[in-house]
Order: sequence, then C-alpha cells, then structure tokens
Amino acid sequence: MASYTKAAQQWATFARAWYLIDGKLQPPGKLAAVSVIRLQGKHKPMYHALSDCGDHVVIINTRHIAFSGNKWEQKVYSSHTGYPGGFKQVTAAQLHIKDPTAIVKLAIYRMLPKNLHRRTMMQRLHLFPEDVIPEDIRNNLVEELPQPRKIPKRLDEYTQEEIDAFPILWTPPKDYRKT
Amino acid sequence: VVEVTEGSTTIIEGKVIEDVKAPTPPNPAGQCPICRWNLKYKYNYEDVLLLSQFIRSDGGMLSRKITGLCLEEHKKVAVCVQMAHRAGKKPTVGFPTMTYGKLPGIIGQIQFPDLEEGDISDTFYSHHPQELLDFIHYSPLALSSLEVVCKGTVQYLTSFFPISGLLPNHRPLHSQGRVSTKPKFNRYLTRWSVRSAKPIWKRGPKWCRIPFRVGHPLLMDNISYGQK
Repeated sequence: MASYTKAAQQWATFARAWYLIDGKLQPPGKLAAVSVIRLQGKHKPMYHALSDCGDHVVIINTRHIAFSGNKWEQKVYSSHTGYPGGFKQVTAAQLHIKDPTAIVKLAIYRMLPKNLHRRTMMQRLHLFPEDVIPEDIRNNLVEELPQPRKIPKRLDEYTQEEIDAFPILWTPPKDYRKT
Repeated sequence: VVEVTEGSTTIIEGKVIEDVKAPTPPNPAGQCPICRWNLKYKYNYEDVLLLSQFIRSDGGMLSRKITGLCLEEHKKVAVCVQMAHRAGKKPTVGFPTMTYGKLPGIIGQIQFPDLEEGDISDTFYSHHPQELLDFIHYSPLALSSLEVVCKGTVQYLTSFFPISGLLPNHRPLHSQGRVSTKPKFNRYLTRWSVRSAKPIWKRGPKWCRIPFRVGHPLLMDNISYGQK
C-alpha cells in the first residue's frame, strides 16, 4: 500500500502485463506450465476466474525447443478433418518442421482450463519461432521469466581452469596407447 | 608423437610424456575410479568433465580393462555418454564411430623398411581413408617404398553422424562445403537411438497409457537433492 495514490494502485493491480519467455533448449511442457499460470492470472493475489485478470505471454525461439526422451519420434499429434478418411496423425518432428510454433501452442491450449475463456487466453499468447519480435510487442514487454530448465554446459563451454580443476579419475597403464 | 618440420625434412619423433601426478582420491579403498572418488550415484549425462575422461577422441567408450571401472559403472557411463552425444554435449576431435564401445581397427599400416636409422615403422590408426591418404601424401618418408596394408571394411560414415551438433568445432572431412539442410532437433535424456524410435500411434486410455520413457533404468538409483 505505502504511499501510492488510489489511481496508481488501481492501475498497478488491474493492468495487463506482458511477459517474455525464451524457449531455447526448453521442454515445451514446462514452458506451457509457466505460461498457463500467467495467462489465467493465477500468479496474482486478486485472481478470480470471472475477473479477466490474465496477462500476455510472449514465447520466443519456439523452433529451438528440446523434448526429453525420444518424444520427437514417438509423440504423435492426431487430428480429424471431419470428412471420412480424414484422420491425420503426425509425429512431433514432422509437425515441428511444418509449423515451429504448433507444439508449444497445442501444449498450452491443452493445459488451459476447458472453458470459454480458453480462446481469449490463447489470443493473449504470442509465439515466435526465432527471437525476431515485432516492434510494438517488444515495447510492451515488462519482465522476462526465468527458463524452466537449467541448460547443461557443453564440453567446449567449460573454461580451461574448470577443466584443469576437475581431477583425473584414473591413471592409464604404462603400455596404454592413446588413439 | 611430435612432428617437427625443419626446412624440407620432416622429423617425426615419439616422445614419452611424463604422466601427470593424479591427486589422491577420498576413498582409496574402492575398486573402480568412481567408487574411489565417491561418485557412485551422483553423476548424469550433463557431467561432461567426468564422462570425457572415459571416452576416446572419436567419442567411443574405452574398454574396462584400461579404465578399471566395474561392470555396472562402465555400463552407466556408457549410457550417459550416449545420452550426452545425442544431446550434443560433447564436441570431439575425430569422427564418431557407428557403434560405441568397439575398439578401432587397424585401417592402414605404413612401413618404411629402407630407412637408415633402423627399423622404424610407423603404424597409423585411422578410421577414415581420407586421413590416411593425407598422411601418405604429406610425409616424404612415405614416398619411398611403402607398404600400405588396408584391413577392415571401407564403409565409412556418410550418413551416421549424430543429428544435433555433436561436433560443433570439428566438421568431418568429406562433407566440407556441403551444408546439410536436415532439420536438427534438440533433445536430452534419450534412451533409444533416434533412428530406432518409432512413433506411438495409439497411446491408449489413461488407465493403461503407454508412457514416454525418459532417461535410463540404470540411472534410476541416482541421488537427487531438491527435486521430487
């Protein structure tokens, strides 16, 4: 409460914020879990299902998401066009090639509550395959949310000091020839 | 082996490199290096500094007889190395072999019987015919009578390179100039190889759902602090 004016307090509580998440090397399910909370407004203490308090979420680098396990080959997205013989099944890899934002979009759509608010919340979600964002959206962004998954370092990303500090676990025998 | 070029003569001499003194492990009574350093259930695919000590320069695993690992740890490390390769964690110097764990075969053996210094014969281990040809071409000793014995199959890795960025700094010789337009997918904790995994067309209802397997059963006993 402090010393804000009533108008300023009102604006701060009810304004719609824009959040940014970087999807590089992140699992789409975890990205969806974080965005669904923000889209519904459940991160706000004055949340109510009818009070339309959801925020905007912008996800960039959806082309570079990472699935754990063999889901790129095993996960299947099915749909039916409504016409006979119109049952289509596509693997995650094929779908990603066709549309790089579809996997994250479907993940979020299926995690949102299954009511009429879902469509409006999906309209407040913005997905971009690379980190190229339109000017107006970039100006609106308020906060960048931390990435859900900690990305492990590659071998060439370690500094030489770190590599030297790591002890050698075994000594090769005298007649060992290094190939 | 140190190669020194002086003018028009190239001297290839082998130097014995002094072994670096290894620090004493906290549990010297252990059987294998991992037990000795108390790392039994504590490593995973992302601990590349540890895994890189047990692999060859081309990415394959070293044999148990050399490293001294116990069987279960050797298997675990092999599995972690596989997962790390598939995740694109380990850029390596040479060329990856199709199957991890097999010892390299002698592809070419160059002998120089006509030298005065004695019976120097140089054995060149290579997986790739291009490397062998380069060696023959650039070393003047080889221009004199040489005996190239080629063993093993000449089926080299035209299409078995791992999909995602295994060798970010080292591009294979034969694909220089050729940019692959194959889409690369980021993945981690893969249990099966990319080519062998088939789509699960029908996952079934919730009560008998077919789960997506992540990680490996050998690593189920790992300790994790903080997570469930």
